[in-house]
Amino acid sequence: MSIMELNGGSVIAMVGKDCVAIASDLRLGNQALGLSSNFQRIFPVTDRIYVGLPGLGTDVHTLWEKFRFRVNMYTIKEEREIEPETFAHLVSSTLYEHRFGPYFIEPVIAGLAKTPSGGVKPFIAATDLIGCLNFAKDFVVAGTASSKLFGMAEGLWEPDLEPEDLFETISQALMNAVDRDAYSGWGCVVHVITKDKIVTRTLKGRMD
Amino acid sequence: MARRYDSRTTIFSPEGRLYQIEYAMEAISHAGTVLGVLAKDGVVLAAEKKVTGKLLDLSSTKEGGYGGSGEKIYLLNDNVIGGVAGLTADANSLVNYARTAAQRHLLTYNEDIPVELLAQRLCNLKQGYTQFGGLRPFGVSLLYAGYDPHYQFQLYHSDPSGNYSGWKATCIGANNGTAQSLLKQEYKDDIEVKDAIGLVLRTMSKTMDSTTLGSEKLEFAVLTLDETTKRPKAKIYKPSEIDALLASEGLMKKDEDTEMKAA
Repeated sequence: MSIMELNGGSVIAMVGKDCVAIASDLRLGNQALGLSSNFQRIFPVTDRIYVGLPGLGTDVHTLWEKFRFRVNMYTIKEEREIEPETFAHLVSSTLYEHRFGPYFIEPVIAGLAKTPSGGVKPFIAATDLIGCLNFAKDFVVAGTASSKLFGMAEGLWEPDLEPEDLFETISQALMNAVDRDAYSGWGCVVHVITKDKIVTRTLKGRMD
Repeated sequence: MARRYDSRTTIFSPEGRLYQIEYAMEAISHAGTVLGVLAKDGVVLAAEKKVTGKLLDLSSTKEGGYGGSGEKIYLLNDNVIGGVAGLTADANSLVNYARTAAQRHLLTYNEDIPVELLAQRLCNLKQGYTQFGGLRPFGVSLLYAGYDPHYQFQLYHSDPSGNYSGWKATCIGANNGTAQSLLKQEYKDDIEVKDAIGLVLRTMSKTMDSTTLGSEKLEFAVLTLDETTKRPKAKIYKPSEIDALLASEGLMKKDEDTEMKAA
């Protein structure tokens, strides 16, 4: 029995054209026994950054509160909001502080970075449980259904998807991947981040 | 040896006084004025800036940030604004301590730190330097303008000895006596924020050394409740907003050139 698979749950993030999407299932379980079908593991960091924390349920909350502490201190000292890439390094160093007794979480970060010209640039990243960063150009996956998510994302993702198409792609990838994983599922939540708004949708899924 | 009891913070003089603390208080009474007024629906803070001059680079304070020039008025937490008078370097260290203390409370209890508790945290630190010192106490007095669900809007003052107290209206720094007697005359118990803003600005204009009131000499902040979210809303004014406010209150400095031309 792996501690990473005790509570179950998966997260995926994808890049689109001037937009990013991040999505997760809503299951919290104790091995095969489902406990909750409304367990939120994606959190807003700023207006333009979301972080998904799949892994051990107790660490989801603890780690999120730790990130909130550090992001608040950054914001109040720097007098500006943190950029996605900076936040990714914050996540990485926070996790590496616990190199030999880690939080059992593999974070996924999705956000829009500001460009000097005033536009936005999509950003996604993921780390392992000790903070090794993976900056991807297309998609990142994590959690108990990660192997299935890789397969679905490889098949469905294409470059420069518009927000609505990106929503469809990430939803199909996640829904069909978690149906093949006993520890993920029980509904999904999808956030699509664009320049001027964030669209959050909750999806119904198979309850078996 | 008149200086026998002067050099260490931890030693009482034969008259039972702690000279270093008194010197710290003296230093503060020469610092820029900071003034706070508690209203029914908010708290108002204003401060006199001392570091001015036309060669001073103020470009970073004009846009961006959360307002203020970072000399006297600081955001300590979502629900607390701090005004400092005294040694700037000491103040920076205390502001950092306060911000960390507030975030630590949020981490532990998942709620904004109550205003009095934040004042207590800083006072514990300050008191430590009056007893275990060896160096010197913090040469800083603070005003805390804050909101919490237990006592709603509050205004606290803390001094270098680690004493703190709650106020309806108070003033620290230079000319604090004059300002306080003015406030005593004019303060009304059910004052609203819009009237408190006027009271604060009028009192500031009467107590400040300089004859003219403008954004280069003034920092200003208001804490209210957001109508929709019912969460505290801290607003630290940017220079342009201060000038607009002074103009609307009829306290804008008179442009001497235009007066000359008119005459």
